[in-house]
Amino acid sequence: MINLQPYSNPMYFVWLAVALLPLMIGLYFGKRLVVYQTIISGIFLLLIFGGPKWQQGLALIGYIIFQLLVVGGYAAYKKHANQTWAFVSAVLLSIVPLVIVKVVPAIEVGRQSWLGFLGISYLTFKSVQMIMETRDGTIKEFSPVMFVRFLLFFPTVSSGPIDRYRRFQQDYLQVPTREHYLQMIEKAVHYLFLGFLYKFILGYLFGTVMLPRLAHIAIMQRAAFFHSGISLALVGYMYTYSMYLFFDFAGYSLFAVAASYLMGIETPMNFNQPFKAHNIKDFWNRWHMTLSFWFRDFIFMRLTFFIMKHHLIKKRTRIPQAAYLINFLIMGFWHGVTWYYIVYGLFHAGAIIINDYWLAYKKKNPQLPHNRWTEGLAIFITFNVVCFSFLIFSGFLNTLWFQAH
Amino acid sequence: MKAKGKLWLIFGPVIIAAGSLILLFSLPLGWGHFSDRTERQAAVSLSPKVFRGRKIKQQALENNYVPFFGSSELSRLDAFHPAVLAAKYQRSYRPFLLGAAGSQSLTHYFIMQNLGSQLRGKKVVFIISPQWFTKQGQRPDAFGFYYSPLQTTDWIIHAKNNTADRYAAKRLLQMPSGRASQTTAAALENIANGQPISKFQTTVLRAKETMLLNEDALFSHFQANKNLARVEKSEKVLPAHYSAPQLNQLAAEVGRRETSNNQLDIKNSFYKSRLSGHRMKVLQNSQTSFDYRQSPEYSDFQLLLTQFSKWHVNVQFIIPPVNDRWANYTGLSMPMIRQTDQKIKYQLQQQGFTHVLDLTNDGNEKYFMEDTIHLGWRGWLKADQTIDPFLTKQQPAPSYKIQNKFFAKKWQTSTHIE
Repeated sequence: MINLQPYSNPMYFVWLAVALLPLMIGLYFGKRLVVYQTIISGIFLLLIFGGPKWQQGLALIGYIIFQLLVVGGYAAYKKHANQTWAFVSAVLLSIVPLVIVKVVPAIEVGRQSWLGFLGISYLTFKSVQMIMETRDGTIKEFSPVMFVRFLLFFPTVSSGPIDRYRRFQQDYLQVPTREHYLQMIEKAVHYLFLGFLYKFILGYLFGTVMLPRLAHIAIMQRAAFFHSGISLALVGYMYTYSMYLFFDFAGYSLFAVAASYLMGIETPMNFNQPFKAHNIKDFWNRWHMTLSFWFRDFIFMRLTFFIMKHHLIKKRTRIPQAAYLINFLIMGFWHGVTWYYIVYGLFHAGAIIINDYWLAYKKKNPQLPHNRWTEGLAIFITFNVVCFSFLIFSGFLNTLWFQAH
Repeated sequence: MKAKGKLWLIFGPVIIAAGSLILLFSLPLGWGHFSDRTERQAAVSLSPKVFRGRKIKQQALENNYVPFFGSSELSRLDAFHPAVLAAKYQRSYRPFLLGAAGSQSLTHYFIMQNLGSQLRGKKVVFIISPQWFTKQGQRPDAFGFYYSPLQTTDWIIHAKNNTADRYAAKRLLQMPSGRASQTTAAALENIANGQPISKFQTTVLRAKETMLLNEDALFSHFQANKNLARVEKSEKVLPAHYSAPQLNQLAAEVGRRETSNNQLDIKNSFYKSRLSGHRMKVLQNSQTSFDYRQSPEYSDFQLLLTQFSKWHVNVQFIIPPVNDRWANYTGLSMPMIRQTDQKIKYQLQQQGFTHVLDLTNDGNEKYFMEDTIHLGWRGWLKADQTIDPFLTKQQPAPSYKIQNKFFAKKWQTSTHIE
């Protein structure tokens, strides 16, 4: 049985082009070939989760049935009642599989839960979002078929971008005009080739060619600077890893967006030149955007309202600070239950809080200079703070300090 | 009409790009001849790219290069390394180094697959390490590191239904790299089961071969490696005229100078980066249970012997020793090493491979080993005493008698020689 990991080798793109061609011809003539699309989606999912990964495939099927029950059940309940406990239980239930998958390797090192499969966290984001929007009343009708299509939209199934249900549904049901579809194809081809440059050339250069060498040198010098391991090679590792992380992930995201566009679905973009950010807040509006917007809409905003509504914190300026801390702590845990992901989350929360202080100070002191030099300085500082956070995120410090011998 | 024009604008460049890429790789373009310098660089590069490729090896071996198969010891490029001696004293041969850390029999078997016409009736040097013969044998990750789709494709196209080829196909299927491509895995299954590969498979594999060949020929022009500079620097250390006693003295001098920071006669840099500090304590008596007498490697090695016999290649084998002090410190069993040595030699001699330089008992010679298990200074010189005459003087044609029993599990696991 063949197994194909999404966007991992040239053959995948050949299969993708062949499979999407009839669908594209249909869309060009103003018709979505629903049956055909369902069939090829099934085949691609089978290629991703079949063969040697069949256990993941079973876990995925179980997961989908479970989420159908939870989300569908809550939607049915919401039609005649709206108790908070029911909403909270539905959200908690819906994240249970993800929590188990994240906690198991932390309890027993190296073990993976059999509930896990590639992309479980992205599917969980989509499910939780459904429950929350059902609670808000913005999603009124629950369609199990559309929900499954939304969850299992194969171009984005493994690592996002994280779409929104209502947006997806609208694109799915409404075929774009020919003119608009041509624009989408044009963008898709551009994104696809930009993705090749990012992932297979730059990502390869930074991640496969440079990174292992720098890691080796840095580990050799782990006794440097009073046994802290701080060396030039470590600094090199930090920047190289940051570049690798961006080009690899942005490349992947471009592929996912391009494939979506070809299928007539305008999946949102994930990156917008993040290293040009002027401050940390700006950075999170440009980096892994669909994730940070998800956290903003479904965690940060809700937390802020919750704290204000219940007067949990008296001082107004403290409210966003608390919300940031919890928000980024959850994001850290979501990445994985290890010290470096959690520190990464707290580091960003700290950075954003300091940034808030600075912005407030700047507002009070309008005489502070603002020109392209200060802007350049801001970009430089933000870039370095971000790269340092990625060094934490990489887990390399863990290897350097606690594992290498 | 307008939409159609737009479609052309979008897909035209894609089609042209894809078309030119296909042409670039599918036409038998050749990509020209390699320069002398590229050849010299490739010969000492020890790079997986060279091991995996074909064209540059073929060209070099058609000139005066002789393959030196081995593993990590080949990277000990001190002044007395065979590559340096051959270059400095203008010998009639130049070593083409094939092997690095982690390359064992199975890797070498595939490395030489596409060198048939260059190796037939020629001489090669083969350094065989007892350390390859672990219980597990070839490590799949190391095999994957040197795995060459090109050589595997070549091999499959020419595979026959015989014990050796069925065995090789089975071994390859046990490695993740052998299963990485669907067509390759399917063809290997056929060979392993004694069935011919289908017409369709052959067509696909031939197309793949052409593409891989073009890729190899094109990218082999880019040799970026510091090893040649190291060799050229080492040459300057040597006296202008070859004199065995003088070289031996120099080797002892250099060896003494470079093993000053430890009691184990291990090169300073190696000791400092790999062993010093608390790591030494952990290593004490850490190898008492090492055993090289039972290993699938014995049959992998048999694959090589079968191939050498088929092409009538005259092979000089070298069995390097283990640094005595190191073996004592780590508790490595010397009786076990000697039995391993006996078993390897038995397998060689039974089948007519008579050129065997066995250095097993030289592990206590001063400055013979560069570090733990790798030949250095005086060790290289001693090997040279055999290599040089073997390669530069006329040798009688070998007569080999290959025995398939060495492919059997029984031989892999037997601890005594009948």
